[in-house]
Order: sequence, then C-alpha cells, then structure tokens
Amino acid sequence: MFREKLSAVKENPIAALYPTTKGWIVILYCICVTALSTVKVNGYALYLIPLFLMIPVLFAVSGIWEKFFGFFKSIFIFVAFIFIVQTLLIRSDAVLFRFGFLSIYEDGLQHAIFLCFIILNIAGILLWLFQTTETKEMTYALEKMGMSYKASFVFLSTFQMIEVLGKSSKTIMNAQRARGIETEGNIIVRCKAFFPMIVPLVVSSIMNTEERVLTLECRGFDTKCPKTRLLELKKSGNEAKAIVISVIVTAAVLIGRILLWVL
Amino acid sequence: MGTVVEFKNVTYTYPLSEKPAIKNMSFKIEEGKFYGVIGENGSGKTTLCSLVRGFAPDFYKGTLEGEVLVDGKPTTEYGPGELALKFGYVFQNPFNQISGVKDTVFEEVAFGLENFGFDPDEIEQRVTDVMELTDITAIALKNPFELSGGQQQRVALASTIVLKPDILVIDEPTSQLDPEGTESVFKIISEMKNEHKTILLVEHKVDLLAEYADEILVLKDSELIKAGPKQEILSDISLLKKNVQLPQMSILGNELRKLGLPIKNIPITEDQAVDIVKSHLAKGGKS
Repeated sequence: MFREKLSAVKENPIAALYPTTKGWIVILYCICVTALSTVKVNGYALYLIPLFLMIPVLFAVSGIWEKFFGFFKSIFIFVAFIFIVQTLLIRSDAVLFRFGFLSIYEDGLQHAIFLCFIILNIAGILLWLFQTTETKEMTYALEKMGMSYKASFVFLSTFQMIEVLGKSSKTIMNAQRARGIETEGNIIVRCKAFFPMIVPLVVSSIMNTEERVLTLECRGFDTKCPKTRLLELKKSGNEAKAIVISVIVTAAVLIGRILLWVL
Repeated sequence: MGTVVEFKNVTYTYPLSEKPAIKNMSFKIEEGKFYGVIGENGSGKTTLCSLVRGFAPDFYKGTLEGEVLVDGKPTTEYGPGELALKFGYVFQNPFNQISGVKDTVFEEVAFGLENFGFDPDEIEQRVTDVMELTDITAIALKNPFELSGGQQQRVALASTIVLKPDILVIDEPTSQLDPEGTESVFKIISEMKNEHKTILLVEHKVDLLAEYADEILVLKDSELIKAGPKQEILSDISLLKKNVQLPQMSILGNELRKLGLPIKNIPITEDQAVDIVKSHLAKGGKS
C-alpha cells in the first residue's frame, strides 16, 4: 500500500523520462553550449542567447513553466553582478559607451555575454534536471549503472543534509539572538554574527557524525549482501525518442561548428 | 534461561584517557529478561552499552581487558555487520538516528531491511506491522526530519524493532521527551518484553524502571556496585547515600516505616504502595 506511494507519478512525458536519459540530455546540451560558445559574431558569442531560449521551452514542455521564473529570479542578481563586473573591469582599446567615469569596453562586453550566457545555459539545464527528477530517483538510476552503494548514500545524504543544516543554522541563529548577539544590520554586523553561528553548527555536526555512523552500522549498512530497493523506477517509453532527438540536435550543432571552421 | 551476554572482569579505557570508563565488571545478561541500568552521569552507562553491542573497542578503539561474550563468543571476534541482526540499538538523540537519505517515515523504517536485502513484499509487511505497533502509521508518509522529538524516537524504535533483534540495547531513549512521549516509548519497550526480547535499558526515570524492568544494574564511578532483581535493588535505601536515585514509592515507604508504619517490604511501585496502604487501612490503621 505504502510502496505504491513512494514513486511520484509523473503525467508529463518529458518529466517522466528515465533519470539517466535526462542526464544524457543535460550532457548533450552542455556539449552544444561548449560548441556554440566558440562561434563568435563580431567577437560576441551570440548563439548562446537563442540556445538559452531553449531552457524556458524545456521547462514549459516538461509542465514546470512556473518554476522557470523562480530560477530566473534566483540567478538574475548573480548573473547581473558578473555582467557588470565583466563589462566595467575588462578594458581594451575600443570604448563602446562612456557614462561619466565609467566606460564599457568591447572586450568587456564580449566576455560578459560569453560568461553570463554560459552560466545561464548550464544552470538552467541542471535546474531542469533537478526540478523534473527527485534526488532519490537520480541516485537509484546511477546505482543501477554501477555506482557503489556507499557513494550513492553520500550523494543522497549530502542533498538532504543541506536542508537539515539550513534548519539547524536557523535554530542556532535564534538561540544566539536570544543571548544578545546582533544578527541583523549592516554587512559588518552580519559578519560578526556569522562566527557564533557557524562554530556551533560545524562542531555539533562533527559530534553527531559518530552517532550517525553507529546508527548506520546498527541498521546493516556495512553488511556484505545485495541490497533491496523499495523505489521502483519505470521507463516512460519515450527515452529512445528523446535520446535520438537530442543526438540529432547535438550532431547538427557540431557539424555546423565544424563547417564554420572548414569554410 | 540461557546467558546471551557475559562480562568477565571487564575493564575498558577510551583512547587518550588515563582513567578506565568501566572497571573490573562482571555480570551476565539472561535471555528474555529486562535489565534497567541506573547510575549518575559519567558512571559508565553508555560505555557499558557500547561494550555490550561491540562498538567498544571495535569502533571507539581503546583498551579492553577481560572479555565481553555474546553467545559465548567475544565481541571482538565478530565481523562488521554480524551483530546488527542480533542487537538492536537505540541512541539517546532521536535526530541522529534518522538516516538522512529517506523522504518518508515508511522508507526510513524500511532502510535497515533494505540493507539486509529482504524481499520487498516482506519489507512492506514488516514495516506496516511495526508502524502499527509503534503508533506511527498516521505519519508514514511524512518526512522524518519534520517530526517532533517523541515521534522521531518512535521512528527510531520502529527502525530498530523492524529488524527483529534478539537483544535491544536502549540508551536513555526518553531523555529528550515529554511525559507523554516517555510513556509511549515505555509502552513499546514493554511490548518488546512481552515478545520475550532481552532488553538492556539505560534510564534515569527509576519509577518507570520499577514498573517495567526485571533486573537492575547500578553503576557508580565506572563500577558495578549492585545488581539483582528490581525489588531487592530499588528498595535498598542505603543506595541513596551513594547518590543512586530510587523510586518515589521506595522513599515514601521508607519514610512511613520510620514513622512506625509496619511495612514489611518497601514498595517500589504505586500499586505496591497502594496495596500496603489498603492492607493497613483494613487493619483499622493500627500499627
């Protein structure tokens, strides 16, 4: 009864693809990003821009369109910061714009576009993978491909522990605040509050490790025998089609790139 | 009843420590009995549990003199994972017993069985049964990290019990729980006693031990100062001088005896105290 509820039923055919198929799509997409980043139009890696437009399309066809905006919002400040730093700090002879003491050079803009769209493309495709695939599905698929049981445990527990440590840090922060440590204000105040928070967090995590190891030992983690998995991973039936389409697109991009070199 | 665990002149010292954590200890744990371990903080209760389970010296290293025998064989001779099905071990902090890789309570409880390669159908049946026993069926699909301390401890107990171990070693399972959580944990332990499991429970709540345990081991300054049936140990008022906590009923019974009430056997539980008072009243309240 409970076993049936462990695997989330995905109605969308793209989201329901087998985790390793989605992994291959990510790898092929990264190959396309790498290939197109080397194609320059007047020194600008402009082909990365239409490629990035594939990301919202992929989110939309996977039925998670609304999550694209969340992704874009979270990464926008980071990318905008990199864009500004790159455009203002990399200098060359050709000045494109001048605003008072600030100058935007051609090299700076070229680097900014190149770097920002590489980040957007790779972060976007990885986020699509993790939004459509649960970590446990990914781990189980990797385990089936031959990843060791211990490695998959480390992979899975790392993802879970990020969330747990986040919660613990909030608890410690509240406790330190109750003791009179200022945690809000300017950057210096926040930096000062960081150490009283991080030290107990790290120390308690290290201290808890011993008990966690023994708990695993008690629950047969080290036992030398084939392990059972309650989670059942099913293929949606569209895996071959998805791989063929991805390979064709990647091949077209690579052939196009080679032709541009040759011609 | 056969002996399942035996300590033979055991002295154990942790690495980098000069003083032994357990000194010259000898006793036997018999099959199917419920042992309560009491003593002050730092008296060696947790180390005793670690020695019984074989964590010391295998995991903690350190120096072991004497022998800890499980089914007649020294714990040092067992291989990794070999004792996992023989012993169930429940730690003090329920939070640390969550594996951290499972999204639901159901999967968390099943984790041990998955590690031992049990058949999925058997896993489902066993987990369903044990969740029923520990009253966690309603939270089966919740994330274990989002539970209260009492619920997490019940999940930890369920995760241990589901492996059907012969011996349960439980180290202060209620130290972080409220009275309601404590009561529910003791009910589960008492169910295990009814299933003839051997239980070694470290607990400060002596009133509950007086009710549930068969035998009591009293530790002080790394030594076993007294061991025997609960009635004999928990009614021994002289232990108070050694800073050993005794049940409220024992203290009350002793005080009443001092006042001249003819109490033959010092009570250790509420029921025993009530019986004494009833019989006294039946005699017209005369000494």
